[in-house]
Amino acid sequence: MRLRALAIVGVTGVLLAAAPLLAHHSFAAEYDAKKPFEMKGVITKVDWMNPHVYFYIDVRDESGKTVNWAFEMGPPRLLERGGWKKNTMKEGDEVIVAGTLAKDGGKHGNARSVTVAATGQKLGAASSEGTIP
Amino acid sequence: MRNRYIMGLAAAAIAAVIFSWAAPSFGQEPSQNPGVLAGKGKGKGKRPPSRPTPHGPDGHVLLGPLPGEKGVWNGNAGATLATNVGRGLDNNLVNLPTNLKIPDVPFQDWARALYESRQANNTADDPHVRCKSSGGARLYHTPYGLEIVDIPELERIYVMGVGGPHTWRVIYMDGRQRPKDIDPSFHGYSIGHWEGEKLVVETTNYNQRFWLTREGIPHTEFLKLTETFERPEYDTLRYVVTIDDPGAYTKTWSGGWAIPWNPNDEMYEYVCQENNRDARHMFRGELP
Repeated sequence: MRLRALAIVGVTGVLLAAAPLLAHHSFAAEYDAKKPFEMKGVITKVDWMNPHVYFYIDVRDESGKTVNWAFEMGPPRLLERGGWKKNTMKEGDEVIVAGTLAKDGGKHGNARSVTVAATGQKLGAASSEGTIP
Repeated sequence: MRNRYIMGLAAAAIAAVIFSWAAPSFGQEPSQNPGVLAGKGKGKGKRPPSRPTPHGPDGHVLLGPLPGEKGVWNGNAGATLATNVGRGLDNNLVNLPTNLKIPDVPFQDWARALYESRQANNTADDPHVRCKSSGGARLYHTPYGLEIVDIPELERIYVMGVGGPHTWRVIYMDGRQRPKDIDPSFHGYSIGHWEGEKLVVETTNYNQRFWLTREGIPHTEFLKLTETFERPEYDTLRYVVTIDDPGAYTKTWSGGWAIPWNPNDEMYEYVCQENNRDARHMFRGELP
């Protein structure tokens, strides 16, 4: 299992796949729009629940240490409209996540898109980025 | 590292351009017909022509879908009771042109300070984020849509919102008098009547445990709201609310917005409490 954090690259195509949506909280209160990211890792857990789907991945950082990150997506209903199914990604799958880091500096972020490495399937994550409070 | 930073900035700039194109907003052109959305907007965001206002067998305006059809009123986060350009709260195609600008809202000093504090904190303390029910105008610009169910046989109208803790409110249409000694609540006690094409609802007995709007307009338990609901065309609900709260304002004031109809959706289950993790992540203010 080879994991590594990726640099901030190629977000244009990702953004084209995602339109801004409403959320039940202010995006600006939780995420820093000036900190986009792209990471690659292996799914450890998926919480397919409201108000946001959360999923967790193990990512190996530049020092070789494995860190577990959490990512927020939109609610299940909006994801399903965008082509997701509950089992589109599951524990053990390798994924590439693009999004925005949390303001509090924790190991979590807002996902804008997810690509399942094995299939190449890339889906928008019903992100609330771009909305106002 | 420097190249990575520059690439990040470039990506953010590209994102801004793309989002401005892709956002389902109604653009920046001024509204020529307040509270009517058909034909408004530009490009992909332009609203198509609408069917006329639907009416039920009793002649009243239907506030839901025609029988056999589906649809819900969309949540509308760009809608605000008062314009605040500096905070981006100035969507002049959904907000009514008669809405006040924030400096002109007759806040009492403490209420203005509280509003400004809530804005400075990016609305991080919004009770809705803690899955509290959204009373007052907050219900009408909450994701992810709402349905208005008029049951003439019961002489009641129910309003049900998706994006919260399974939220609903009831509007009594049976001509009753307002009871005394009602406990304050998130949705208060609502009595409504029809004035021609317009549903008029007066509500008192609110608690203070919610924000009157998504952007943090404050209120007290002295609040009395007079709301009007009009459907000037099939695809638009015009919502106007008059705020009478001597605890927070020096005089009454009004504001409102247009709510678009989404003919392709239906209500669905969304229980905010199921896995809410946002409150612990809220970050107040801006990063240094």
